[in-house]
Amino acid sequence: MEFIHNLAVGFGVALTPANLFFALAGALIGTLIGVLPGIGPIATIAMLLPLTFHLEPTSGLIMLAGIFYGAQYGGSTTAILVNLPGETSSVVTCIDGHQMARQGRAGAALAVAALGSFFAGCVSTALIATFAPPLAKVGQSFGAPEYFSLMVLGLIAAVVLAHGSVIKAVAMIVLGLLIGLVGTDGNTGGTRFTFGITELTDGIDIATLAIGVFGIGEIITNLAQPQETRGLAAKKISRLWPTREDFRRAWPAVLRGTALGSVLGVLPGGGATLSAFAAYALEKRTSRHPAEFGHGAVEGVAGPESANNAGAQTSFIPMLTLGIPGNAVMALMIGALTIHGIQPGPQIMSERPGMFWGMIASMWIGNLMLVIINLPLIGMWVQLLKLPYRFLYLAILLFCGIGVYTVSNSAAAVLLAAFFGVLGYVFTRLECEPAPMILGFVLGPLMEENLRRAMRISSGDPAIFIERPISLGLLIVALGLCVLVTLPAIRSKREEAFQD
Amino acid sequence: MSLSEERTGLPDPFWRALARKDVLAGLLFIVVAVLGLWISRDYPIGTALRMGTGYVPRLLCWLLLGLGAIVLVQGLRGAQGARSLSAGDVSALRPVVFVTASLVIFGVSIERLGLIVSILLLIGVGAVAARGLRPIETLAAALVLIVLSWGIFILGLGLTIPVWPEW
Repeated sequence: MEFIHNLAVGFGVALTPANLFFALAGALIGTLIGVLPGIGPIATIAMLLPLTFHLEPTSGLIMLAGIFYGAQYGGSTTAILVNLPGETSSVVTCIDGHQMARQGRAGAALAVAALGSFFAGCVSTALIATFAPPLAKVGQSFGAPEYFSLMVLGLIAAVVLAHGSVIKAVAMIVLGLLIGLVGTDGNTGGTRFTFGITELTDGIDIATLAIGVFGIGEIITNLAQPQETRGLAAKKISRLWPTREDFRRAWPAVLRGTALGSVLGVLPGGGATLSAFAAYALEKRTSRHPAEFGHGAVEGVAGPESANNAGAQTSFIPMLTLGIPGNAVMALMIGALTIHGIQPGPQIMSERPGMFWGMIASMWIGNLMLVIINLPLIGMWVQLLKLPYRFLYLAILLFCGIGVYTVSNSAAAVLLAAFFGVLGYVFTRLECEPAPMILGFVLGPLMEENLRRAMRISSGDPAIFIERPISLGLLIVALGLCVLVTLPAIRSKREEAFQD
Repeated sequence: MSLSEERTGLPDPFWRALARKDVLAGLLFIVVAVLGLWISRDYPIGTALRMGTGYVPRLLCWLLLGLGAIVLVQGLRGAQGARSLSAGDVSALRPVVFVTASLVIFGVSIERLGLIVSILLLIGVGAVAARGLRPIETLAAALVLIVLSWGIFILGLGLTIPVWPEW
């Protein structure tokens, strides 16, 4: 009964004309940037973060969420038709999706991807609605020491599940935590790392850092690489509907992909990309026709495409219920909340039920819109692929500039973003992932606050973190993950999982 | 590795070691940590119970210093399969310079010269960052983007950004 009441509240909020408009806007922008290689959801959400300042918080979140899952739909289009991943989460879709396109089955591949994504979107929306309330209740019982340990675990797990060097990623987290400290210390009133610049006394805005590192840094990285040539596999998509045989083989893969993606999305560091890779590996291993993989197996499209959408959506669960971001997009969502002065955490659900349930209801509506946007209108998106990057980057550059300027109406923010852009490029070149830095940046002030509170509770004794059972448990899991990842056997498995 | 040697074209073993990505990354972390420790040298540390302004920053700087040192040592030891910067990484100076310059000019000019002039400046300088953009294409892109941003930011969102230069 409560479940139905909650959903009714949610649909009441999501079905207002304004929120329907922003769900559609998010879905359209998401599909657009999903189709276009060279710009991803992180950079886009960073660029649009300042805009949400001028919107209702609920409308802003609905739009940003739409961009994230919309990009999962759009990314598959480019992967299938051009053999280029529009998004990192559709890298594996290239393998079999593009082969299907070359065999003249592009329409079937696109339809399976979109319908699989829609099914996964519906299931994961229901999962969020079911599991978010009890999880938020658990979160509300946490004190400062438990919260601190939970954040430590969240950060460690995010690093272990991401690819690349673990130590470098931890160093990037610490760097993000340090950048988060810039400005005035709320407890003592002292300023930290401001270099005597007045604009820095209020701290660095998350939009400035994210636009710099992801938006501008990505432009430089793309321009530094030689231009790629794009060739469309299918000039015309004649038949959109999959055959009966395609359906028969695709639906179990959609079910498996949805289940796997939903679980992996909840984990910190999980989300769309990891889910897609894991789902492809699973399909390949459990298939009765493993030889067909790489030559246009429909399961190789259905599994990963369902998984990335499921993972994208269930990664909202820890963000919405505990205030812990599992990936960079969720960190930006928390940034969007704090821009409006909303403290992320388990209290959101009880204090702002309209916003919480409205956002969940909008996810289902957005997924429905996306099937319509993607299937009948596929020809329009394909046309967009003809837009060369040399025009695209000028538009991205400009929107980055205006976006940063509007955050604080200060020229200093634009200069700072340019600096972070160069920094982001340098880090990418040195194979240091910038995503953990954003997680650290967002959690930095929260961690310091909870550390201080915990120390006040225990009169300055750090043993409080291991005396409280929940906190101890969380820390043991974090430590266990650290140990696991250094084991050679696990390490090679982990690298394999990202290469497969 | 002979391949990376060829690509970087650095004969000296010292420079070759320095060009390794892990070595550079480790050094970068160490430099930031040392800089942080130096800047925060006068911040009051306080005690664990009553943490001063400098407690958490210094703790994090020491942590970063340690992590940077591990990355550096890993980079120096892992001679086999160590990834070095390639010539392509170094030749990327053109986008770095012009993308940064276009934003700096945009930031400095927007308040005095207004949205339209500063967009023209941003596109004009930014267009140099990529190869193969013809002047006529740049102009067309600038015009489209001016109309678009005016529509979205001024008309749509009603932001108070000056549109024309202040005389």
